[in-house]
Amino acid sequence: MTSSATLRILDIVPGTSVDGPGLRTSIYFAGCSHCCAGCHNPQSWDMNGGEEMAIDEIIAIVEENGFNVTFSGGDPIYQLNALIPLAYELHKRGYNIWCYTGFSFEELLDIDGIDTFLNLINVIVDGPFVSDLRDTSLRFRGSANQRLIDVTHSDRKHITIWHDDD
Amino acid sequence: MIQTVLKRDGRVVGYNEEKIKAAIRKAMLQTPLGEDETLIQKITDRIGVTGREQMTVEEIQDRVEVELMKSPRKEVAKRYIAYRDQRSIARRAKTRDIFLEIIEAKNNDITRENANMNTDSPAGMMMKFASETTKPFVDDYLLTAEARDAVRHGYLHIHDKDYYPTKSLTCVQHPLDNILRHGFIAGHGESRPAKRIETASVIACISLETAQNEMHGGQAIPAFDFYLAPFVRSSFIEELKKMEEVTGEDLSDIYNQEIKDYEKKTLDGLKGRQRAIQHAVNCTVSRVHQSMEAFIHNMNTIHSRGGNQVVFSSINYGTDTSAEGRCVIRELLKSTYEGVGNGATAIFPIQIWKKKKGVNYMPEDPNYDLYRLACKVTARRFFPNFVNLDATFNHHELWKADDPQRFRHEVATMGCRTRVFENRYGDKTSIGRGNISFSTINIVRIAIECMSIVDKDERIERFFSKLDEVLEITARQLCDRYNFQKTALVKQFPLLMSRLWTGAEKLSPDATIEQVINQGTLGIGFIGLAECLVALVGKHHGESDEAQQLGLRIVSHMRSRVNEFSERYQHNFSVLATPAEGLSGKFTAKDRKTFGEIPGITDKIYYTNSNHVPVYYKCSPRHKAKIEGPYHELTRGGHIFYVEIDGDATHNPQAIADIVDLMDSNNIGYCSVNHNRNRCMKCGYEDASEKLTECPKCGGHEIDKLQRITGYLVGTTDRWNSAKLAELSDRVVHK
Repeated sequence: MTSSATLRILDIVPGTSVDGPGLRTSIYFAGCSHCCAGCHNPQSWDMNGGEEMAIDEIIAIVEENGFNVTFSGGDPIYQLNALIPLAYELHKRGYNIWCYTGFSFEELLDIDGIDTFLNLINVIVDGPFVSDLRDTSLRFRGSANQRLIDVTHSDRKHITIWHDDD
Repeated sequence: MIQTVLKRDGRVVGYNEEKIKAAIRKAMLQTPLGEDETLIQKITDRIGVTGREQMTVEEIQDRVEVELMKSPRKEVAKRYIAYRDQRSIARRAKTRDIFLEIIEAKNNDITRENANMNTDSPAGMMMKFASETTKPFVDDYLLTAEARDAVRHGYLHIHDKDYYPTKSLTCVQHPLDNILRHGFIAGHGESRPAKRIETASVIACISLETAQNEMHGGQAIPAFDFYLAPFVRSSFIEELKKMEEVTGEDLSDIYNQEIKDYEKKTLDGLKGRQRAIQHAVNCTVSRVHQSMEAFIHNMNTIHSRGGNQVVFSSINYGTDTSAEGRCVIRELLKSTYEGVGNGATAIFPIQIWKKKKGVNYMPEDPNYDLYRLACKVTARRFFPNFVNLDATFNHHELWKADDPQRFRHEVATMGCRTRVFENRYGDKTSIGRGNISFSTINIVRIAIECMSIVDKDERIERFFSKLDEVLEITARQLCDRYNFQKTALVKQFPLLMSRLWTGAEKLSPDATIEQVINQGTLGIGFIGLAECLVALVGKHHGESDEAQQLGLRIVSHMRSRVNEFSERYQHNFSVLATPAEGLSGKFTAKDRKTFGEIPGITDKIYYTNSNHVPVYYKCSPRHKAKIEGPYHELTRGGHIFYVEIDGDATHNPQAIADIVDLMDSNNIGYCSVNHNRNRCMKCGYEDASEKLTECPKCGGHEIDKLQRITGYLVGTTDRWNSAKLAELSDRVVHK
């Protein structure tokens, strides 16, 4: 694993409460091709948006804040090759990682090299945002089609939905 | 022979006979006969020689009238009297303007000084009239010249100045066990000791409400769980006795049966004694729940103090690990979660969770389950806040886990933040004690006055020497007020000085409170550290390490000076991180008038509270905690750490727990989490979206948006003053 890879980052929010349980450091990756109608962040679609950041730089920010981590975007999956070493380094340091993606979990499983990534991730929030299914009462997701998938206990045949006591 | 004259504003000046002459001459010139220098000199001489050594302006004028009436020029006396009347009306004209504003129920900063008070109601107006007329009285007759000047020139704010003449003290933490065990007399009723949970919870209300009318600040219960726990057991026994009546069976052997947890369970399959116990538990839980609901309801509806304000009430709890104490905590939290009436968030009491490792913070702790419930309740209802018993400065040497009276050694806070714990004149405890009075220093103004000094070190040194001057004045002012307050008679504060204040039970009703008043604290507060630092070094402490180091130096300096005052004057002085609801715009308005609009300092209409990072400054919760944490140890008179979180907190109680963790790791004393909560008044729909104007469920437009102001929740911002409204609109979330 190398830490010299770089990623295109739109923003790093060092303590949000909307992207998974607890306060989290949310990393917003540039670039998305799902083009969901009603997306509240279309400026995040540009694959060349944001700025280039080295994995070490990102880790330093996460460490400084000490909260668990969420990957969001854009869609982080478009930068999978550089995302894996980042996830590896964070996982190694004991961080719990959530990842938002516009791909469905099933689609994700067909992507080459995804297994290495999924082994490092705790929860995948999958699927595009569908504005007709928008519901503000949902926890940590925008529309009812999206699922909070407990990756450790899910595979192609059986999907386990994440839950906590809250 | 007159030497000095006591003026209306309280100043003493040298006697000047020219002033008398000028006044008589003026009156004479308005009569057909005109002036008569010989008569003027004669009258003036007589008054000057026969008068006492010191006379007031009014007394001298009375003498002039008498002398003129005795003289042949009676028509001059008439002119003179008419002129005096005009001047007197002119002096009252300012009062007239203020009265008219109150009468017209205008929304302005006079009537909105206090967001918890309805000044439109007759009782509220009456109180406002009194408040506005006592303030000038205090200025003229009770303050020393130096204190009055410091106030007039915007260096100092004397809190609750309208109550100054009443000699009232600020606040107290109620030793409710005293009240519940011995009963008390209030108004026309005598209360006997409580026997069951319903009575105990009502007596708790009455104690808070009665004391509110005897003081000018908040009322708190320091260990709500410990105090009410015995009445859970007595209600349980009462339920067993009811069964005895029905069945004729003697159940006295299980009156003191150990109960693991008071939780409702089905009776299916239970027989004999087991069934009786569980049935009694179920009934008891319902009664405790109902009592907690009633307590909250009373605290939000019964107006005390002049009939227009509910009590500024706070309750501390969370550390009683007995089954009975846990039952009180659980039902209180559940009831708070459900809300009052049709499920609206209760504004009072402010609830404060006493966080302590080994009791309720670590997963293996006995009350950890209730702590998690508390986080969930806060996520929806803004309360409880969290006071950190693990902060180094909140430790107590005598606290022991197996001591049933250990709550006596646990710090408790007033909801607004006032903290009373250390004590030079008795036991270190929060209970039966409170603040006596506090005054706040405008450190921004002092800093602005030094801005023109080019050399930075010199500028900062100048600031410190000016700060010292104002600190000395403030200490003297607090001592003066103390010396006035201590002359109050015990019977002026009948409940406070019989059952609540430490040592008061020994006093006779006609004695003064002098023997016991020193149990309280004198607070020296400060406002606008952020703006002060911008003035001194160009940046505030949230954005610059240099500013942070200077900020800590300033507040450390205040703390060490305040400790010196304690020694010198023999009182419990402490530094307070001032909340300043009515104050937040007053200093700023005055400073802008004097110095104009200075970027980052006077360009907003409020100053940042105490040591807080400015509300408009974007930073993460962790950064805010790191910056503000170190100030908590220095401000023993009270402090609070706020975080504004983004999103719907009800989806994320863990985020609340994470903020408590920040409090834990940064040695913070007291914290509170703000978030958005909208409620449709028509259908009860709730969410956390920003700027919600239309209910997505029923289309209604009556949206109640909860906000927090100086620690208290307010559903409507109608009663907020303009400075606080501006501060609200500048608040950013910390993420």
